[in-house]
Amino acid sequence: MNCKELAYMLADYFDGSMDPRLREELDAHLAMCDQCMAFTKTYQAVSDKTRLLRRQIEYEIPPEVRKRLEAFVHAAGLKYPEKIREYRDQVERDRREKVADLVRAAAAGKLSSAMALLMESHRAACPECRDYFDALRTAAAPRAGDLPEEIRAHVIALMQTLPPGEEFFLA
Amino acid sequence: MSAERWKDDEALLESLRKGVPGAVDELLRLYQGKIFNLAMSILKNESDAEEAAQDVFMTVIRKVGTFQGNSAFYSWIYRICVNTCLMRLRGKRRNETVSIEEFMPVFTDEGMHASPMDDWSKEVERDALNEELGRMIRKYTEDLSEKYRVVFVLSDVEGLSNEETAKILGLTVPAIKSRLHRARLYLREQLSRYLREGKAG
Repeated sequence: MNCKELAYMLADYFDGSMDPRLREELDAHLAMCDQCMAFTKTYQAVSDKTRLLRRQIEYEIPPEVRKRLEAFVHAAGLKYPEKIREYRDQVERDRREKVADLVRAAAAGKLSSAMALLMESHRAACPECRDYFDALRTAAAPRAGDLPEEIRAHVIALMQTLPPGEEFFLA
Repeated sequence: MSAERWKDDEALLESLRKGVPGAVDELLRLYQGKIFNLAMSILKNESDAEEAAQDVFMTVIRKVGTFQGNSAFYSWIYRICVNTCLMRLRGKRRNETVSIEEFMPVFTDEGMHASPMDDWSKEVERDALNEELGRMIRKYTEDLSEKYRVVFVLSDVEGLSNEETAKILGLTVPAIKSRLHRARLYLREQLSRYLREGKAG
């Protein structure tokens, strides 16, 4: 290895990706060449100093720029999460509506055959739902708003098991 | 990258996606300094860097829902920043940059150093020199073309791995290593000249 070859291998030498045999050769050259030793040490000093002086080397954001940027991002950013929230609230309201419709249809015996089948097998396995829906049949006007969260979760899960294209209700 | 940073990023990503109030503040707190610094090192102009930073945060907020999580959140943000800045540079008159070739080491035909090497590595260990050295490193890197500058800033200043830098810039790892090496050789030579002249003066 000569000085020129050594100089071009220094990045590998310091990031540890160098072949061990080459590294030995490089070390052997360094041990007998003052020129390369000086070159290598100063090369390493550049990286070491850069890391150490990072704070001085980085550009600090000026306070007025920071302020403007914050105002801008706030104005722009707040609108967007607002829209996401509106959208999610709407999705939640739609789903509650649908669950309420389904519960009413179940009470009135107007579920589609696929949904009725799913509901039957679930009722056979879930005493909470069986009791709840049995009670509904005797009550005059079931109010979906009173639906216990546990039952709601089961109904939502049932609705999600219904294959796409199948109707929930009888036409 | 530190575990702390990963945790911060994960929580931030989650709250940005959910639209939690204050998520945008957290995004700014963690990233505005870094984004401004990165934009400055590419654009070298404060008002350009400010506008680029605005664009970066807009993009991050708009696209956070589509972020796939294949890469780390911070490297996704850096990539957006690099792309935004390079787009701005396009078509713009580039500031004159030095020719890096003039600062590469010179060798004889036998492959030996053509001029005597001065070992100033001990000299720069003195803390008294730090402020001046930091200023000089920044000044010299400003003279580099952005091709080298951005790699040097991401790898040596920000401390990202070659793999991370390669991903952010859309380059191969060998290409990153080669640019980083040349940027260091350039800085080594610039600092050598500076320290030599300083001593002579």
